[in-house]
Amino acid sequence: MTKFVIRRLLWTIPVLLLVILFTFLMMRQIKGNPFRKTERAVPASIQANLNRKFHLDDPWYVQYADYVKGVFTLDLGPSLVLRNQSVNDIVRSHFPVSLELGAYAFLFAIVVGIPLGMIAALRANKPADYGAMLIANVGFAVPSFLVATLLIYYFAVKWDVGVPTSGWDTWQSKILPSIALGFFPMAYFARLVRGTMLETLQQDYVRTAKAKGLRPQRVVGLHVLRNSLIPVVTAAGPLLGAVITGSFIIETIFAIPGIGRYYVNSVSARDYSVTMGLTILYAVIVIFGNLVVDILYGFLDPRTREART
Amino acid sequence: MPLLEVTDLRTYFATREGDVRAVDGVSFEVEPGRTLGIVGESGCGKSVTALSIMGLIPKPPARIVSGSIVFEGKDLTTLRERELENIRGHEIAMIFQDPMTSLNPTLTIGTQITEALRRHLGMSSQEAKRRAVELLEEVRIPNAKTRLGDYPHRYSGGMRQRVMVAIALSCNPKLLIADEPTTALDVTVQAGILDLLEELREEHQMAMILITHDMGVVAEAADDVVVMYAGQVVEQAATLELFDHPEHPYTEALLGALPSLEGAGGREARLSSIPGRPPDLLDPPPACRFAPRCPYAHLGDYCTVEQPELRELRPGHWVRSAHPASERAAVAV
Amino acid sequence: MAVNPQQEELRERAVVAEAGAPGVAAAGAPVRQTSLWRDAWYRYRANRAAVIAAVLFLVLLAYVIFVPIFSPYDPYEVNFSDAYLGPSLAHPFGTDQYGRDLFTRAALGGRISIGIGFAATIAIMGIGVVYGSISGFIGGKLDNAMMRFLDALYGLPYLPFAIIVTQLFQTVNFWVMVIALTIASWFTAARVVRGQIISLKENDYVRAARAVGARWYRILGRHLLPNTLGVLIVFVFLELPGVILGEAFLSFIGLGINPPKASWGSLAQDGRDVYLAHPSMILIPSVLIAWLILCAFFIADGLRDALDPRTRET
Repeated sequence: MTKFVIRRLLWTIPVLLLVILFTFLMMRQIKGNPFRKTERAVPASIQANLNRKFHLDDPWYVQYADYVKGVFTLDLGPSLVLRNQSVNDIVRSHFPVSLELGAYAFLFAIVVGIPLGMIAALRANKPADYGAMLIANVGFAVPSFLVATLLIYYFAVKWDVGVPTSGWDTWQSKILPSIALGFFPMAYFARLVRGTMLETLQQDYVRTAKAKGLRPQRVVGLHVLRNSLIPVVTAAGPLLGAVITGSFIIETIFAIPGIGRYYVNSVSARDYSVTMGLTILYAVIVIFGNLVVDILYGFLDPRTREART
Repeated sequence: MPLLEVTDLRTYFATREGDVRAVDGVSFEVEPGRTLGIVGESGCGKSVTALSIMGLIPKPPARIVSGSIVFEGKDLTTLRERELENIRGHEIAMIFQDPMTSLNPTLTIGTQITEALRRHLGMSSQEAKRRAVELLEEVRIPNAKTRLGDYPHRYSGGMRQRVMVAIALSCNPKLLIADEPTTALDVTVQAGILDLLEELREEHQMAMILITHDMGVVAEAADDVVVMYAGQVVEQAATLELFDHPEHPYTEALLGALPSLEGAGGREARLSSIPGRPPDLLDPPPACRFAPRCPYAHLGDYCTVEQPELRELRPGHWVRSAHPASERAAVAV
Repeated sequence: MAVNPQQEELRERAVVAEAGAPGVAAAGAPVRQTSLWRDAWYRYRANRAAVIAAVLFLVLLAYVIFVPIFSPYDPYEVNFSDAYLGPSLAHPFGTDQYGRDLFTRAALGGRISIGIGFAATIAIMGIGVVYGSISGFIGGKLDNAMMRFLDALYGLPYLPFAIIVTQLFQTVNFWVMVIALTIASWFTAARVVRGQIISLKENDYVRAARAVGARWYRILGRHLLPNTLGVLIVFVFLELPGVILGEAFLSFIGLGINPPKASWGSLAQDGRDVYLAHPSMILIPSVLIAWLILCAFFIADGLRDALDPRTRET
């Protein structure tokens, strides 16, 4: 198992290099080379900084190597627009907010979505199932900006239950954004759990467990749930991407000072070094998210655990 | 007093078109310490009968429409789910056809054996573990102690079926239901499992219901035989009697379908198969269900419009046919 | 061995019987192509949710196609005296901040959203088929390398990547969005096609075709690709929601198609600022998006049951 983890960790290095290369080449296309040709007048100090940072007279692969060195030494360079701020500063001050938001959203998705899917599967084709699946299908199809707007409209304005319409300071202010961001993953989990659980309930080993006279709690809680959760864990990786995407929207709507909002702003403001740095940060998050998923998967399914060692 | 008495059991499956009568009026008894073989081709209702006894039929769509399953004086069809759970795995245990899928791939063999022990016998985790090792040794799995921590994928098919046997025997059940326990296994390991079952059955003084489509397996292991066709019992007798004097044309065909080594050269001996297929159990006609395939039933016979009753031709030998072999012989002579 | 002598005797007579029960009907007779599709159609029709979804999808298409043609309003003409009108008989969806009829603009937005959705999905399929069949058909080291490459791309966050692609162009129009969304999300399709090709390659009829000396292009074109068609059709409807939502998100955060053209996402963005006073402005485009996604979803479900009965749940 440790061997598998180490190999998997090593494998992320070329992946990361490739991702940086893609981003780098594309940003080069956008920027043109050198920076002077962009429509925006770049302040002289930053221009000097950039020249130093990117060695703009060097061929592209040297620049790339320099940038990679920057990434691996955790130095993403200065912002082009925000004076006296480096990309690192932005990440340091705003990433924790996004991380917290994302964590709450995932928590909401798991705590609500998995039980919802279980209820639907155990009461298949009964009113509880239809109700749960209605929620799940709506959550699956309705774009998160509408979910967020409706939440604000009803809970913060119309019924005014004591949650603010925006911000990220008090615990009350964190409720609506977390639900809004977690709604799609919640629906996804609910659908997935229902599907895999219905399939698992048909398995011979579940019949064996029942034939042993085990109580339903144990049959469902151990034999069924454990096997139903394997696909859920695998789905968590791709969902990470969905949560990142959603954070752009949710942070914008709720005026939350996370990096999602910065990312969107950096694109509109053509702050290329921020866009590039944050894109790579997102890639790193997704890559490591998938890594964690793979390792978890190994723990849940002994067959792959051994196949991999 | 029989250990298990199944009387007029009817288990139907609801479908969009109507009820499929998978088990339609089946009765039999199992005496303590004896083995009853239930034979028939796939779809004849033998597995559904077993699952009905265990209370494991998928509800819905399946339901027990009528009949009783009396085990040690209790009618299992009237018990509540919780009471059934106390009997399942404890007094009646079951082994399934496919050992590859019958064990949970994500739990260790140890967990899967000990959970029954802890559930029914109230053993502590330590006691249960010790007992599990003994059980694995009993079903002849080498290095039982270390293999307890292995996951099912480390076991071969035959070994897994041995584990299933160990689980089934763990709480010393009075009745063991083995549903095609060797069908999914290699021919070379089939005999081993059957011998093991027979040996342990004797040792634990259990009764056994052995479900199979294989007359060879019946011959080897069963004391009595019930032959099922299209959801009904068509013939019932002691094994030797049945093999020596089969009465029902279907039983004859099943026996004729056995490859014989005694016959005129093993190579030329052909499997005789019965033309036609079993009837649709959705709304079957009120005739003998075997009539369309029966070589002796002719148009106008009462058995093509009316269901023959199960009748006792000789003491202990029951048959449901208008044309049993002995009566045919009498007419011919 | 604990077998009594009587049974020993019987055993000799019986020995080992064959597994096959008497009278089993021969299965797997070859089925003609035409009846395959007809069967699929019958199976699809049996799925009520899928039929309803297909009808609703056609209704939506009809709305999107015909309303702009027959609408009396110019979707781009600014008329401040009519700004922010609520829904009425003249303007079923009301008007926007410039007094433009939203019933017409939402239909035009639908053309853009659905158009981008289908165009990108088809492009995704195209790339997926080429990449996946090369990888799956040739196999070996090349397959391994190509899959490793896909694994690497899998690490890319989808929307940021699409955003960067849009920034390559001066203006963001219909085709730029299609390109951006395609580049950011073709990987899954390639994987699916490869998986199909590989599993089909093992089939006996493909081996048979090889054995009689069929050329590779014939095997690929005649045996493998046609048999992936069902899966691909299902995949179009499975992929569509993701692409449509991706486009909507980009437009909503202001990085989508440039005004005055508007997709459903950008219409929703217009409504975002005034949701308190005029909730219908964000509600309507969002509900249209949800409508389309749910339709695609249930259609995909029905198609999967119809075209790939092996994966059916019950």
